[in-house]
Amino acid sequence: MQMPETRVLLKHAEDPELRTLAGYKRYDGYGALEKAYRQMEAEEVLKELEDSGLRGRGGAGFSMGKKASFLPRGEMQKYLCCNADESEPGAFKDRELMQRNPHQLIEGIAIAALAADAGHAFIFIRGEYDLQADILDAAVAEAYEAGYLGENILGTRRDLELVVHRGAGAYICGEETALLDALEGKRGNPRLKPPFPAVQGLYGGPTLINNVETLSNVPRIVAHGAEWFRGFGTEQSPGTKVVSVSGCVQRPGNYEVELGVPTRELIYELAGGPGGGREVKAFYPGGSSSPVLTAEEGLDLPYSFEDMAAAGSMLGSGSIIVADDSVSIPHMALRTARFYHHESCGKCTPCREGTNWTVKMLERMVHGEATPMDLDIVASVQENIIGHCLCVLGDSMAMPVGAMVRKFRGEFEQVMAEAGTAVAA
Amino acid sequence: MSGKEITLIVDGREVAATEGEMLHDAAKRGDVEIPVFCYEPKLGEPVGACRMCLVEIEGIPKLQTSCSTPVRDGMVVHTRTDQVKHAQSAVVEFLLVNHPLDCPVCDKGGECPLQDITMGWGPGKTRFTDDKRHFQKPIELSPLVAIDRERCLHCYRFVRFSQEVAEDEQLQLLERGDRTFVGTFDDRPYVAPFHGNITDLCPVGALTNYTYRFRARPWDVEQAGSVCTLCPSQCNVSFTVRDEQVKRVVARDNPDVDDGWLCDRGRYGFEMFAAEERVTEPRLKGAAGGADWQAAIEKAAAGLKAAGVGKVAAIVGDASNEEGYLVQRIMREALDSENVAAGRAYGILRHDLVDISQPALSARVRDIDAADAILVIGTDPLHDSPILDLRIRKAVRRNGTKLAVATERPTTLDGGADAAVRYIPNATGAFLDDLVKSLSGSGDGESHFGADASQIADVLRDAEKVVVVWGENVAWGDGRGLLALAEALNIAEHDGAGMLEVPELANARGLREVGCMPEAGPGLSQRLGGMGVAGIRDGLQSGEIESLILFGVDPIRDFPNTARWKSALAAADHVVCFSMFENKTTALADVVFPLESHAEKDGTITHPDGRLQRVRPSASRPGDIRPNWGILAELSLALGFDTGISSQPSAFAALAGEVPFYAGITDGDIGGRGIRWQEGPAAAAFPTRPEPSGDPVELVFENEPGETTYTEARSYDLDVSTYRDLWVGPITELNPPLRFLSPRQTLELSPGDAERLKLEGGDEVTVSQNGSTIRARVAVRERMRDGTGFLIEGTASDNANALPDLAGTIAAKIAKVGE
Repeated sequence: MQMPETRVLLKHAEDPELRTLAGYKRYDGYGALEKAYRQMEAEEVLKELEDSGLRGRGGAGFSMGKKASFLPRGEMQKYLCCNADESEPGAFKDRELMQRNPHQLIEGIAIAALAADAGHAFIFIRGEYDLQADILDAAVAEAYEAGYLGENILGTRRDLELVVHRGAGAYICGEETALLDALEGKRGNPRLKPPFPAVQGLYGGPTLINNVETLSNVPRIVAHGAEWFRGFGTEQSPGTKVVSVSGCVQRPGNYEVELGVPTRELIYELAGGPGGGREVKAFYPGGSSSPVLTAEEGLDLPYSFEDMAAAGSMLGSGSIIVADDSVSIPHMALRTARFYHHESCGKCTPCREGTNWTVKMLERMVHGEATPMDLDIVASVQENIIGHCLCVLGDSMAMPVGAMVRKFRGEFEQVMAEAGTAVAA
Repeated sequence: MSGKEITLIVDGREVAATEGEMLHDAAKRGDVEIPVFCYEPKLGEPVGACRMCLVEIEGIPKLQTSCSTPVRDGMVVHTRTDQVKHAQSAVVEFLLVNHPLDCPVCDKGGECPLQDITMGWGPGKTRFTDDKRHFQKPIELSPLVAIDRERCLHCYRFVRFSQEVAEDEQLQLLERGDRTFVGTFDDRPYVAPFHGNITDLCPVGALTNYTYRFRARPWDVEQAGSVCTLCPSQCNVSFTVRDEQVKRVVARDNPDVDDGWLCDRGRYGFEMFAAEERVTEPRLKGAAGGADWQAAIEKAAAGLKAAGVGKVAAIVGDASNEEGYLVQRIMREALDSENVAAGRAYGILRHDLVDISQPALSARVRDIDAADAILVIGTDPLHDSPILDLRIRKAVRRNGTKLAVATERPTTLDGGADAAVRYIPNATGAFLDDLVKSLSGSGDGESHFGADASQIADVLRDAEKVVVVWGENVAWGDGRGLLALAEALNIAEHDGAGMLEVPELANARGLREVGCMPEAGPGLSQRLGGMGVAGIRDGLQSGEIESLILFGVDPIRDFPNTARWKSALAAADHVVCFSMFENKTTALADVVFPLESHAEKDGTITHPDGRLQRVRPSASRPGDIRPNWGILAELSLALGFDTGISSQPSAFAALAGEVPFYAGITDGDIGGRGIRWQEGPAAAAFPTRPEPSGDPVELVFENEPGETTYTEARSYDLDVSTYRDLWVGPITELNPPLRFLSPRQTLELSPGDAERLKLEGGDEVTVSQNGSTIRARVAVRERMRDGTGFLIEGTASDNANALPDLAGTIAAKIAKVGE
């Protein structure tokens, strides 16, 4: 018996009409927006979001309601940015959410903007998501037409301008402050924090930045209440999560589950586990930037923010990449490092130089040109990166690569020796 | 900054700091050095890019960058724990991963922050064995600056300079990650008037001056602190001197003067000191080769003495206070003549100067930073006093200062201004009258003279701390309008408000205050009867003046109406010319004496804001050049008058004894940073303003221009005015590195005039008036007034001064070449 999904965000996702306003309204679409705008005060909406315990689905897992409450009150230009720059290897949940149910996101943005008192909102979508951006453009136009966006929404004298902005193809622009710089038309580089975006963000104004999935949760929280939402998931990780499972599994894809389900069931029952009788060797529990867990460490953990953190990794964006026993961990480390080397913005020293150096050493290892010292140096370089960078991109390479060297040192030594022998021959 | 005094603990010692300042700065004052590469407060907000300054702060789990952490009371900071040492050493190791370590052939070697920090905080050896990245090296970032991208640390300093200080926006980081490099759009050369500053900012050898590449090592050279006298900004500089010759000029940070920046004129102008055209020995007319000093002085004295009583005159230009003081003493005391003037043609009357220069009305340069509003009137700081351009931009960008610009010609500050208006050339007085009325609410709301003064008034009206940056021409002949403006703005009542002149001469203020004015002696004491520059010229032609001293001026090039000056000098019986270079004026002189450059000179000068500064001899004088004060003292002796001056200090002591408000200021007070006499011991001795008479003064403007309308019947095509370009003169012509910037004569037109005259940008035209004709290339510029064109004064060929001036503007005929 296969473990069932708990479809909340992806409910009715199979209906191709859902992406249109008419289709969305058939399933009570924009009911939450009407409730929030007509019957609730902004502070009530904010309180509902805080009470729900909804944690950010983009990676950091910070309480969404609390983040929104950090915005200063009072008359000033405030902004809301939806981070749709989903670019991390292994993550593809936002793509499906936007493609199948764009109005759910738009409704969530409109409600969050009410809570945050923001008059301008942006969806910063990665440039490669062309289809999804087209779908969003069409849906935003429908929402304007129907009076859910624009001036004087539902006659409540509240305005919201929503713009879909396509990124130009840099992973770093998913970092929230780099996203702001890119949106302002500058080179997409992270900013120093503090000041945090909630205080000084887009164009210097207070700015709330949330992930697509986070905002997609908002309509139902408002419609059904915080208590209903807390009925899913665990105490510290309430709600459902769309998990992208990929790598060595037979049925890769997005699965929506309650947070806290056993990881083993996610990988084996929903995604079908590795094929050909092979076994899971290790997996990234939260995208390519999370420290890998070995099968022994991770398979029997509940899939929640707190349990992944306790195991020394993180739930991140909720993207599981599975490596079975046919996968060479040193090659996987190299592939990971190459991605971050390619995407490092170059602003701060440890990330710019550390990703470059790590790739060079890992390349020599798998090509048989490494010295025995290199393994220690690779480990040391990762330690020298972690905690020393301007943003988390450097750590995002150093943590998984460091974990792989630490946990699979024997395999690294073996690969180095075998490759070295091959070169010598 | 909030200004609250707090205490924090850095490495176990108490450090007093101001709340909100950055930890790096607070620690530095507590004698704790935290290494940095990217941090430079002059460039604006910290970027936190290099990660060199990571420190431990109790209560915060992760290390923090001290450059971007504001201090709080009771903060406990550790900069030398194992965790911090480990992190800093790691950052140095990372920085060296791609750094070529080509120190033996790098110009920065020996004065390189990366070397120093590697020694102090680095791991001492490298574990990096792979290939480093490679770029072509070096390549031209500009004709003056070489860029070696391999050495770059990506500290963001020069990008921030370009974007947040000079605001030219030309430099950008291209590509990303470890492929990042600094460049310009489409690899175009980075040409901008302040771009040399990036070589001072670079913490490695990535940016080097072509003028200094491979010229010297730090241990071969001496740094000599002095002051640049190429413009009224009087920036503080250090001359890098090897074998007694200047090899480089770098900025010497003085927040009261230049804020640590230097323009490219000041930075790259030094090679003209060794130009072939340099006058290096005294010379007599008609004699081949140089003259004996004694003979030259006797000849000069004889010619001056031969003139009838009162029939001698002197015009002073580039000169120190001591030189100006001695020239006026020779005139007044040795030759009994009051005909001593400074400048090109016009001047400010003594009583106006006394009024405007009252200490209560004076602004310090520093006041610009904190002003509520700035009015720039009658000057384009970029051309007239470049460093003020940066200073005003800084106030607007960092302090939110409102900016109003009222000029004849478009300025580079227009883009960032809250209001910018153009008035008709020479209608400054009338414009001021409109502005004062508009400020007091009594204006009629109509715009006279083409410019809407109410726009400017709206920007200034509610501001308390208003700094008025005014071009000298605003007060030429009549300073009452300017004074009325100061009163309308209540400048005397507000701390931080004030007037700051941008004069034409670099040391205009000093020269006036030591007595180089026809109607004022030292200390602006009242004198009567002297001739101004234009009067001297006419006097030479009419025979009223027979003998003339020219000190640091080139009338044939720089003064309006070249033809009249040529005939005036030809008519003179005797011309003694002190000049740095041979030119068309020295060619007409009977005796030519060499002048020292500002790298060779010893003396004081006075900044337009009243700051006395010291120019120190830094390099040896080429040829047989002697100290200028000495020549003047000897000339005076030869004329039979002993000034009693036997050294530079005695010259300064003598002038300070005659300028009451300089009294008591010593060399020590001036030091390396200067002192404003307004803040000195004798400021109260400044002449007081005469009591205002009971009747309100009715301002009457001569030649009041009415509403200008253009009719078919006009006999000319365009009113043409002139301006002095930053790059005109020996600075580009006699100085190989800057030669490429030497401007060609250009006629600037409004788009409307271009259309009316059927001209396009790039067309070659002739501009004629009363028989004089010059050629120019047309440039169509936005924000120009219709009906007024502009030409450049002092170009090497087709000099606009060749056109006769008619009340300052030239009613010119324009014809396209070839038609």
